[in-house]
Formats: sequence, structure tokens, C-alpha cells
Amino acid sequence: MLYQRYIEIGRLCYIRLGDNAGKTCVVVDLVDQKRLLVDGPHCGLPRQVIRLKNLAITDLKVKIPRGCKTKTVRDALTKDDISTKFLQSSLSKKAEAKKSKAGLGDFERFKLRVEKTAHNRKIRSTVRKLKKSS
Amino acid sequence: WYQRRVRGAELKEYELVGKPLSKTNETTPIYKMTIFAPDEVVAKSRFWYFLRQMKKVRKVNGEILRLSLRSNTSPTKIKNFGIWVRYDSRSGSHNMYREYRDVSRTGAVTQCYRDMAARHRARAHSIQIMKIESIKAGDTRRPLTKQMHDKKKEIPLPHRELKYTKKSMNVANRPSTKQ
Repeated sequence: MLYQRYIEIGRLCYIRLGDNAGKTCVVVDLVDQKRLLVDGPHCGLPRQVIRLKNLAITDLKVKIPRGCKTKTVRDALTKDDISTKFLQSSLSKKAEAKKSKAGLGDFERFKLRVEKTAHNRKIRSTVRKLKKSS
Repeated sequence: WYQRRVRGAELKEYELVGKPLSKTNETTPIYKMTIFAPDEVVAKSRFWYFLRQMKKVRKVNGEILRLSLRSNTSPTKIKNFGIWVRYDSRSGSHNMYREYRDVSRTGAVTQCYRDMAARHRARAHSIQIMKIESIKAGDTRRPLTKQMHDKKKEIPLPHRELKYTKKSMNVANRPSTKQ
């Protein structure tokens, strides 16, 4: 298939930018080509219109009727256990890693640098040895 | 108190009620208008502008009885709005019917102003919103509005170019545009 992920009703989206960045939401309806009506009862996100540019699409989808109530969305999300499924996705893991990296203190960053240098040095020495032997 | 106008912000819907001042103690007719404006000052100005065109009353000879801000009825329900516009082009005055999908009347009217500016180079002062109505999906006329009524609609995001504000331009590989 050319495209795997679509913006459609029930699609779980990850909010990249804006006040609600980091939260996930479900597409409840489409306003137009650039805006969606989303709802995120599992994240405490009230139903609102959001621009497509602030979103990233995930692989996950729930089955909900168009424009349904927040309760229906919440029930569908808990039934499919979307929150835990999302935490296993690469998008969530990358976001988590980014957040932890941003939260590092000066000493943690120093430690990270030391470990990275040691790690890269090991790789380079191994590669050099292999080149010499071949 | 007067709030600073933010450029590019959504218009507000005002309901203005005014009447000509009576010279003798006779009762004068009262007129009500719905005006879409960025703030109260513009709203009052437009009120007098329209009233002057339609009735023999001017701001000097009249008074505004009420100016109230209309709030959004259902901000989480998407509606199809039909807007009847009259605008002045470079060569003449024309009527138009335009359709917009939005969550509020003010959102739709703001879209209309932006759209008219983009497509017809019409400035705000030459646009008159004659009527705005929330229309049923079946009564919409424009294909752009009608395409959103399909509940099985899927929008792919092919070749998605996102603004990389913090990423460097000097990288080994192009960023992925796959979504």
C-alpha cells in the first residue's frame, strides 16, 4: 500500500506542537482539509478543533461513530487499551527519550558524554582491527 | 474597557440595537443588527454605516441602545455555514454565496473575509456580510464542503514537509517525509 496511515475518524493522533504538545487525541470529525475535531478524554484533553500541522498520525485506531460523545470515545479507548499500546510505539518512546534528555542536569550530561565517547571509541577500535586483519 | 485589538484574531459577533433620536416626544423605530467585527469600536462604526445606508438616520442623530457580544452556541459541533456576501470589486459590486465549514459563526465569517481577500483581493471595508446561515449537509452546494460529509473520508499525508525549527540544515540525510 502506498499510504498506511490516514487521517480518519477514530485515528489516534499525537500532538506535536502547541499548548497540548505531548498528548494523544482521537479524531472525532473533520472540519476541513487542515483542521480536525479531536477529543482526548484519556489525557484530559477537552474536545477541540486542532490544526493538522500540530499533529502526527499514529498507527492506532479506534472504532467510533462520527461526532460521537466524549463518553463513547473514552469507552472505546479503554476497551482497546490504546494508552498502553501507544506507550509501546516508537513515537512514544522517542518522545520519552527526548524528554528525559532535556531533563538531564549538568552532571548527567557530562556522564552521558563520557559514556558516548567510550562507546564510540570501542566501536572505532574494533572496526580498525577488522580492517587491519582483512 | 477597550481591549487591544489583535491582528489576525477571529472576529466577534455583536448584536447592536439603535434608534434615531426623537426630536419631538414621538416614538421612533428601533433597529437591530448583527455585526461581525474585531472589537466594539468597529462594531458600532459598521452599525451606523449600514443603518445610514438603509434608513434616514446618522450617528449624530441616533443612539445605540445596546451592544452585546454573542457567544458561540456549540463550539464542539461542526456546522456548514452559507454566507451571502456583497462586495465591491475594482469594476463593480457583486453578490456572492459562499460556504464554509466551521465550529462557530464567527469562525466562518473570519474565514470568509480571509478567503475574499485571497481570492478576490477584496478588503474588509468593501465586504458586506448580508446573511449567514447554518445549513444542513444535504443543502450544501459547494464540493469543497460536501467532501467533508463522507464519514468514511480518509486523508493521507503524502510527502509531509514539517517545519524543522531546531534541526540543522547541514545533515547527511534528508528528513523523512513519511507519515
